[in-house]
Formats: sequence, C-alpha cells, structure tokens
Amino acid sequence: MTNLPEASRQPPSVTLHFCAADRRYEPLQSIEVRYLVDLPPGQVVRAVERSIVWYTEGKGEEDIGVHSFDRLTDRAAAGAATGSFGGRLPASPLSYEGVIVKIRWCVRVRLFFDAGRDFVSEHVFDLGRVPAAAFPTRS
Amino acid sequence: MRLPRFFSKKRGHRRTGSEVWGSVGEALFHATLVVAGVAFGGFLITGIAVPEWRINHDFIERRGTVVGKGLARRGPGSAAAAQASWQPSIRLRYAVGAEPVVAWAFDGIPETDRTRALERLDRTSLGEEKICWYDPDRPTHVVLSRGYNWWVWALTLLLPGALLAFGGAGLSRSLGRWGRSQERQAATGHRPRDPLANEPTSTPGHPGVPSCEDLVNSPGTILRYRLPIESPESWNLLGLGLFAVLWNAVVVLLAVNAGLDLLGGRIDWLLLAVLVPFAVVGVAGVVAFTRSLVLATAVGTTQLEISAHPLRPGGTYEALLAQGGAGAFSDLEMSLELEEQATFRQGTDTRTERLVVWKSPLGSWPGLQLAPGTRFEARATIHVPSSAMHSFASEHNGVNWRIVIRGRPARWPAFTRAFPVVVFPLAAGEPAA
Repeated sequence: MTNLPEASRQPPSVTLHFCAADRRYEPLQSIEVRYLVDLPPGQVVRAVERSIVWYTEGKGEEDIGVHSFDRLTDRAAAGAATGSFGGRLPASPLSYEGVIVKIRWCVRVRLFFDAGRDFVSEHVFDLGRVPAAAFPTRS
Repeated sequence: MRLPRFFSKKRGHRRTGSEVWGSVGEALFHATLVVAGVAFGGFLITGIAVPEWRINHDFIERRGTVVGKGLARRGPGSAAAAQASWQPSIRLRYAVGAEPVVAWAFDGIPETDRTRALERLDRTSLGEEKICWYDPDRPTHVVLSRGYNWWVWALTLLLPGALLAFGGAGLSRSLGRWGRSQERQAATGHRPRDPLANEPTSTPGHPGVPSCEDLVNSPGTILRYRLPIESPESWNLLGLGLFAVLWNAVVVLLAVNAGLDLLGGRIDWLLLAVLVPFAVVGVAGVVAFTRSLVLATAVGTTQLEISAHPLRPGGTYEALLAQGGAGAFSDLEMSLELEEQATFRQGTDTRTERLVVWKSPLGSWPGLQLAPGTRFEARATIHVPSSAMHSFASEHNGVNWRIVIRGRPARWPAFTRAFPVVVFPLAAGEPAA
C-alpha cells in the first residue's frame, strides 16, 4: 500500500541495505538492515514503524506473521533520515515459491505523515533455500 | 480532503475492496447491531419487564367483587374467527380509598378454543370475591394475578444482550484497528480474524509449522507410531446422515399435519403440494446416506504405521501398510505427496482449493486377494527430499505432507485414504537427516 501525503504527489523514497548482499538468510541467522529516508520538501513524519514479517501470497486469503515490530513515535527519532534495526530470524516458516501458496519474508518501513497518510516501503528477502514447486498435479 | 479509495491492490495481482472502506463498513455494521440491541432492549424493558415489575412491587392489593364477566376476543375479525383467541375477563368492583371503582381484568391466558375459555369463565360466579391488585397511578388498571414470566426476562436479557455483546465487541475491535497498520494489528493481536477459518497450532520454536502432537499419540503394533487417517468421507457421511434425519423430521411434521387435516375431513392442497417434493428429497437423502454408509464400510480399514515422526528433509523412514477387508483388489498404491491448500472467499462463499505439487510413489501392489479375517501387510521406505519444504499451516493457507493410499477393489468404487505427516525444517547448519 502506498498512500501519498496530501501536500505532494511526489513519493518519499526509502533505500534499504541488507547485511547479506544477496538477501538470502538461513534459519536462526541474524539480520541487520540499514535504511535511508528521502522525504520531499514540506513533509513531516510523525511516526515510523519497522517490522520483519512473513506473509502468504497466492490463491488464498493473505496471512501474515510478525517476527519483529517496533514503532518510533518520538519526533526526533521518527524524523531521522537514517536508521537501522534487525535481529535473529526464526527457524520457520521458510520462503516458499509454491503454485497456489507462496511464503514471502520482507522488511517493511512504514512512515506516518502529519497529514494522516502513510507510506510503506517493502523489501523482500529469502529465508532458507527451498526450491520452487514445479510439478503440479490436480488432486 | 481526499476520501479513501474504494479499491486497493492486493498481492497476487487482484483488486479487492479498500481496507479503509471495509473497516468503516464493519464498524457501521457493528454500530447498527449495538443500536438495535439498545432499541430492542429498551422496548422490552419499558414495554414488558417494567410493567411486570410494577405489578409485583407498586400495585395495591384489594378484595374485589365480581360484578360482570365475559370473553374478550383477540386477533382478526369474524372473517377469520378460526384464528382468534379468547380470554376470560372479569368485571370487578373494589375500593380505592373511599371511592368504589369498577374495571375489567383479564383472568389467565388467552385460549384458542372458545369452549375451553367458556368453561374457565364458568368457574367464576357473579358476586364472588377475588383478590386483585390495582395501579395506584391508574386505579382502573387492575390485575388478578402477580408473578414473573421467566421467558419475558430471558427474552429481555438474551436477545438484546446478544446484540449488544456481538455488536459491542465488533465495534470495539473495529475501533481498536482503526488507523493501525497491518503489521501493528498482527503484532498486537488486533488482526481481523476469519470466524470460519481455523487458527492452527504451531510447534513451539517453529512458527508456521503445525503441531504434530495428535500424530504421535498412538503407538503402532510393529513400527513406532500409528498414523491417524484424514477422512473427509466420514464428515460427508455424518453430514448426509444429519441432513437425512433433519429433513425427514420436517417431512414427518408436515405429513402428521396433512394426516390430521384428512382425518378432520379437510384437504389442505397447499400443504400436500409442499409435502410431495419434500418427501421425494427426504427419500433421496436416506438413499444417499445408505449408499455412502455401505461404500464406507464395504472396503476394509486401512492402517499405516511409521518408524519416526516428525519427518525431516533428507530423512529415510519405514512405513507399514495394513489393509483389511475381503475380496479382490485390482490395485493398491502408496505414495508420499506434498499438497498446497488455499482458502479464499468467493462472493459470500468460503472455498478451499487443494493442489498436489509433488508426489513420490512408495509402492504398488496389483492383483491382491484378501481373505476374511486377515489383512494385507506391506512395508515401504519413505525418503523425504533434502530440499523439501517443511509443513506449513496458517489461517487460510497450508503446505501439507501426506501419505496417500489409493485402492481399486474389484466390486466397489476406488477409494483414497490419506494419512497426514509433519515435516520439520532443518535448522541452520544441521545436516540433512
């Protein structure tokens, strides 16, 4: 979801750097991300939410699991142009590229603006090395 | 000011309703339930419960003299006299202070049978004295009995209470989610839950991996565990049985009514017109249930034992298949399968789609001849690929491993019986089992 602030149609940009260049992690491995927020002039951030989540994609309704979540409401911290966060990844669920069920891991940085709108920047990474499902057979 | 969009993009390249408008709609729906609960409760309290309470607490007791009696007719006019009810009414004279007052009071509940109402009325004689209670605010309002009707209070508390509880809880949930991001809702437990979906239990330390407690609580006779069978056929059978019983109960009720009408010399053609198709469906329900019952019990039971559980990628395990019953099987097969399962809403329906995305044959036994009282037994080796996806279960999605037995008896339709197993993920650095 990307909702732009009322003040401007120009979107903010969030650049994110993973500690693993290929964005591939093993279960229980540590992850560290650094982000850089570039705001168009006149936009004021009142809160930032940073999370590491998995979600399902495909034919079914979306399910989501939050591995880590924090919300910065302090004006100085929320308005900072850079930040970093991370932690130890869980043992499961592993990233999975199925046919009607897919599991994705991602890092989300969500900015909340004074105007009431929010902007989310999502960066997908892989947990584990499960190959994609390839031989569907109707049951 | 910009209004929220009606549509927002959902992952999977589909457009679905806007979350904001969805939340507004949900909040409005629950607010409507709260308002309905308040209005309905207010109506029941002021219209029924409070008057009854006043009769028991405020009304003043007097000894009155019966100066008249009659039947009060309730319901439609004379054209539909058969649907009217009759209530014995007594005209009483009693003293309010120094002044005598004469007023009508109902005696007991209404009767649909006029003769019975007259019999009740005959039990009261003119000039007889009766205890009565009158309203001090309106002395002509008098009653002949006091007490509480439990169903009035149950109705007063139950229906509006349910509306208030359901609507209030939903409204509070909607307000709790308002303005919160999807991640924050999930992290704080305010995520909207699908009442029709099951929240699976995860294995501690392995989020998203279903618990296998129910799969290891039955020891095997030869190998370590006996696996429980996943039997949608049993649920179908139960559903068909329930349908047949309930539907035919309705048919019996209709038939009894029609029979009573016929005995009374009347023919209700509308009732008969409804009864005939209902009876046909009822008979079809019994036939379908009986057929399913015969099919489910004709082929003998299938049992499966396994040497270890849960399974691990790269692991090799032993399985023992035991098939009971009697007669010839043209084929019996065993395979290990990975099935994806997705539950989604389509309009007002909730649908579940299943797709087998990987399958490995474990054994095949053609031309079996089973003798009564014995069972066919066969061993097979299960190898889980080292790169296999682990079992996964969330509210609407699943990745399920199953050992599937497919049989083709000579005299009966083919059957499929599935035994779920759980595959755990490998930990970092852990070699394949």
